[in-house]
Amino acid sequence: MEPLENNVSPEHPLAELGTLVLGVGGIGLALLAVVWLAVEGAVRWLPVSLEERAFPSASIEAPESPELDALLHRLAKGWPEHEYTLGIGVIDSPEPNAFALPGGQLLVTSALLQQAASENELAFVIGHELGHLAGRDPLRALGRGLLVSLALAAVGGAEGAGVAASAAQLGERSFSREQESAADRFALALVAAEYGHVAGAADFLRRLPDAAEAGAAERAASWLATHPRSAERVAELRALADRNGWSLEGELTPLPRGMSDQ
Amino acid sequence: MGGLFDLAVPLILLIVGYFAGTMAEQSHYKSIRVRELRMRRMPTTNLKKPPAHWRVEKVALVAGSTVVSVDYFKRFLAQLRGFVGGRVRSYESLLDRARRESVLRMKEEAAKLGFDAVINVRLESSNIAAPFRNDRGTAGVEVLAFGTALKLIRQP
Repeated sequence: MEPLENNVSPEHPLAELGTLVLGVGGIGLALLAVVWLAVEGAVRWLPVSLEERAFPSASIEAPESPELDALLHRLAKGWPEHEYTLGIGVIDSPEPNAFALPGGQLLVTSALLQQAASENELAFVIGHELGHLAGRDPLRALGRGLLVSLALAAVGGAEGAGVAASAAQLGERSFSREQESAADRFALALVAAEYGHVAGAADFLRRLPDAAEAGAAERAASWLATHPRSAERVAELRALADRNGWSLEGELTPLPRGMSDQ
Repeated sequence: MGGLFDLAVPLILLIVGYFAGTMAEQSHYKSIRVRELRMRRMPTTNLKKPPAHWRVEKVALVAGSTVVSVDYFKRFLAQLRGFVGGRVRSYESLLDRARRESVLRMKEEAAKLGFDAVINVRLESSNIAAPFRNDRGTAGVEVLAFGTALKLIRQP
C-alpha cells in the first residue's frame, strides 16, 4: 500500500511565500499608512497649548542664559504669529549642535557657543531651530520615530524592540531634507529681519561638515540620517539671499560678553 | 548603499536557503519512500501487548532518533506566518520527515538485530534549538521513536 502522505500541505512553498509577502506586506503598509496619516493629522490639528502641556519644558534640565534668551526673543519678533512659550537652554556637549524639542524648548550645546564666531551665526542656528518649531517638526519627528519603531518591532519581533528604540531616537533627531531646507529659509529670513543683512549666517554651516557629519550615530545608521550636505545648504541660502536682495556682506555683531564661556 | 546591502544579505540567504533546503528535502523524501517500501513487511504497532497467538522468543528496546533543521527560507515563511496565524506549512514537512525517518531507523535497528516486529511504538518530539533567541540559532527538532522489538518463534 502506498503511503498517503497527507501530513504535508500540497501548496508550493513559493506560492505560500508570495501570498504571505503580499498579504503581510500589504496589511503592514496599510497600517503604517494609517499611523502616518494619524501623525500628520495630529501634527496639523494639535494645538500648541496641548503640545506644551504634553511636553513641559520644565522637565528639561538645562541652565538658562539671559543673553541667549534675549537673542531668542529678539529673533522671535520676526515670527509674531507663534503660540509657543519659547525657552532656550544650554547643554554640555563636545559636539556643536542645537535642538528644538516638542513644546517649544530650544537647546544649544556648549560647543556650539564656543565655536560660534559671531552673534549672527548663532542667530542663524537659533532661527533654524525656530523654523523647525514653525513647521511642527519636532512633534512630527516623534510621530515618525514611533512609526519606525513600530515597523522595526514588527519585522524583528520582540528582539527588535531594542533596535527599534534606538531607531526611534534617531528618528527624533533627523528631519527630512525639505524640513531642513524650510528651517534654513525660515532662519535666514529671521536673521535678515533682525540684522538687515545675512552676513555670517551660513558660517556655522560651512564649518559643519567635519563636526556633525562625522557623528558616530549618523555613521552607524547613515541610511536613516537625511541631513542635506552642508555645501548644498550654503548654496541654497546664497540663492535665497540673492532672490530677496539680502546682503551677504555686513557688519557682524560680536557675541554677547560671557556667552561663549558657558 | 547601506540599505541595499542590508537587503541583499537576507535575500541571498533566502535564495540559498530555498534551493539548498528543497534539494535536501527532496533527496530525503526519496530515501524515505524507498526504505519505507523495503521495511513495509515488518509489523509495527502501538499496541502494548503482542497478539495472543504470537509466541515471543526475545524482546528488546529499539529506538530511532532524528534531528532535522529548517532552512532560512522555511524559517522566514514561518515567521511571516506568525503575523497572521494559520497552518505553518513550511514546518509540516520538517516534522513529517523527522517522524518517518525516526520510525524507519527504529525498524531498521530491529531488523538488523534479527527482530520480527515492533510493538508499543511511541513517538516523542522535542525542540532542541531555539529559533529566535537573539535572532540566532536554527529551529531544529528531534523526533524519537521507540518501541519493543519482538523476535517470534516460528511455528513448525
